[in-house]
Amino acid sequence: MSIAVRNVTKRFGNFTALDDVTIEARSGELLALLGPSGSGKTTLLRIIAGLEAADRGSVHYHDEDVTRRSARDRNVGFVFQHYALFRHMNVFENVAFGMRVRGIRGPVVDQRVRELLHLVRLESLERRYPSQLSGGQRQRVALARALAVQPKVLLLDEPFGALDAKVRVELRQWLRRLHEEIHMTSVFVTHDQEEAFEVADRVAVMSGGRIEQLGSPQEVFDHPANAFVMHFLGNVNVFHGRVHDGKAHLGGFELEVPEHADVDASAAAVYIRPHELEIERSPAAGRLPARVLRVHAAGPVAKVSLRSEDFGLELQVEMNVERCVALALVTGEVVYVAPRRVRVFVPEEPGELQTVPEYVI
Amino acid sequence: MSEPHARFAMGSAAAAAVKRTATLVPLRKSIGYVARPTSGVAATLETSHPSEPQAHASGAPSENADAPASTTAPAPYDAIPTDSVPTNNISNWKNAQQDPWWVRLTLILVAVTSLVVLVVIPVVNIFYQALSAGLHTYWDNLFNDPDTRHSIWLTLIVAPTAVVANLIFGVAAAWAIARFRFPGRSVLTTLIDLPFAISPVVAGLQLMLLFGLQGYFGPWLREHNIHIIFAVPGLILATMFVTLPFVARELIPVLEAIGPDEELAAVSLGARGWQVLWKITLPNIKWGLLYGILLCNARAMGEFGAVYVVSGHIPGQTQTMPLRVDRLFQGYNTPGSFALASVLMLLALVTLVLKTVLERRTQRELAEAAKLHSPEIES
Repeated sequence: MSIAVRNVTKRFGNFTALDDVTIEARSGELLALLGPSGSGKTTLLRIIAGLEAADRGSVHYHDEDVTRRSARDRNVGFVFQHYALFRHMNVFENVAFGMRVRGIRGPVVDQRVRELLHLVRLESLERRYPSQLSGGQRQRVALARALAVQPKVLLLDEPFGALDAKVRVELRQWLRRLHEEIHMTSVFVTHDQEEAFEVADRVAVMSGGRIEQLGSPQEVFDHPANAFVMHFLGNVNVFHGRVHDGKAHLGGFELEVPEHADVDASAAAVYIRPHELEIERSPAAGRLPARVLRVHAAGPVAKVSLRSEDFGLELQVEMNVERCVALALVTGEVVYVAPRRVRVFVPEEPGELQTVPEYVI
Repeated sequence: MSEPHARFAMGSAAAAAVKRTATLVPLRKSIGYVARPTSGVAATLETSHPSEPQAHASGAPSENADAPASTTAPAPYDAIPTDSVPTNNISNWKNAQQDPWWVRLTLILVAVTSLVVLVVIPVVNIFYQALSAGLHTYWDNLFNDPDTRHSIWLTLIVAPTAVVANLIFGVAAAWAIARFRFPGRSVLTTLIDLPFAISPVVAGLQLMLLFGLQGYFGPWLREHNIHIIFAVPGLILATMFVTLPFVARELIPVLEAIGPDEELAAVSLGARGWQVLWKITLPNIKWGLLYGILLCNARAMGEFGAVYVVSGHIPGQTQTMPLRVDRLFQGYNTPGSFALASVLMLLALVTLVLKTVLERRTQRELAEAAKLHSPEIES
């Protein structure tokens, strides 16, 4: 069943949490709402669930307008960030709660709870209380509890936010497999782009109560719609300069930017991902001299920090370890950095680029 | 004066005594470590008498000719060497531990002496006086005097009724304050505390002004033959007024610590309002709730001032236990008075024991809430 949110606006006092948001989760898809804190992603999820009411706009499940319907009658499975397990009930009772309050009695409850505990692999812990479970186990109980009422959609609020790194990776792979098994329309909120890209079919990047970009993980990563998305999705080197006549001017450097040929002399930011920079030994046109500061060669990807005196900023370069070994970089030596791919964003309104102040020339 | 008030007054007197000593020798750093009363009740009472510490603050330096040189400073705190200002710093903590023996001894003596003189001796004396004429007389005094018997019965009616009413009000108010953001929320929070700040006598008087014969509703009530003042409903209303804050004040922090997530989870799973209340909220707050009920009940049974004003002192009709104790004592029936007082004292002791147990449980409830909400690291 698809979920559609149309023109939803939500304010808390003077703070606009959601600003005219329209988004659709297709039937059976796993959609991630990705954004920094305060971007409105959790508010959007709560509005979809009916735990929060929109000031304006509507929410539709399939063709049905559910905007005025309470959370109780929307039949959604909601998993809370801190699980919100009922602390005075054991695992079995937690999972059975949804059926009990709906007046379902008898062996069908037992059977369904056991099925779900099997699904989340917690059969042996049904008599335990939430305080006796680890974070990962609690999370799985919360999921089983949400699924017990056979919801039409599953909504997860930062489902792995409170877990440590290793468990988080395991659980998100498990969630992906689970989704492939049950194929329920699901929306989950996260601030971790790696998590969103690994688990979701599509990702909606949010900022300041708006959706900046919606697309498959690949689309979003390869073709970021704007500077914010570019900046939010992982490390990036940012140069500030000007665009003129289809060329970006950065200090003494010039880069061809045909996509901005129609822009007439405007400030611009040039974004280059660390893995899109190449380190060379010899100087050439379009190569930037830089001094090696640090080399981290642990793991499959070597990370090199360099300082560009021309721009007065620190550059990050990533390459595979073999290449790094072949280069035999020494701290303090001067090398030449060549971009393989650049993205130039021209602000639509003056001052817009000021939102990403990390590197300023 | 009623029980908690009396205890508070004593507490502040003792504290004041210590403070006066403190200006002679810089003992204040040690006082800084004396545990503050944990219950919100005592804390509120303290703030409702802001004039008192200030009076000491301005009066103390001039009282002592040999006070440290900085008498020009408005507060005596300035006269304390800077290294003795209590902080959470570990080295300062050690300093406090290393107070000279005579400082420690003096402090302990002051505390123990005041406790013995003000608490232990009176308590023991009540039981001694009550039982001095033998168990048989004690029993006679309690249960063979119809008016005393009635006062016990009346207290057992008035106190639980007030407690139940405040239980309903307390849960509703605490829920509203902890769960909703609405205009006037902070005003409501403050208003709940009002009965703590108002003298019980004034509380009684304002009921008289409303429901008494000369009051606003007096004529209407008389026309319809409804008795509030000088009758049981008045006693209940007065008791309700003075015990109003107890349950709500206990519950607000517990509800806030637990947070709304479990309730929202229950709603999203299909629970209706009353199901959420019975199956989720009440089990979660039960210890805090019992603690609030206990304090409320202790105060309700011991209430004197407000009840005194509205009761009309009719023996066998409107005399609760504390009023009866007073009446017996005024009538030179000391053994009878002490016998009934010993019953009140027993109730207080039972309350004290239960309070200690429940306080621990409530703390655990809060700690568990904090644990379940904090980020969990997989073990």
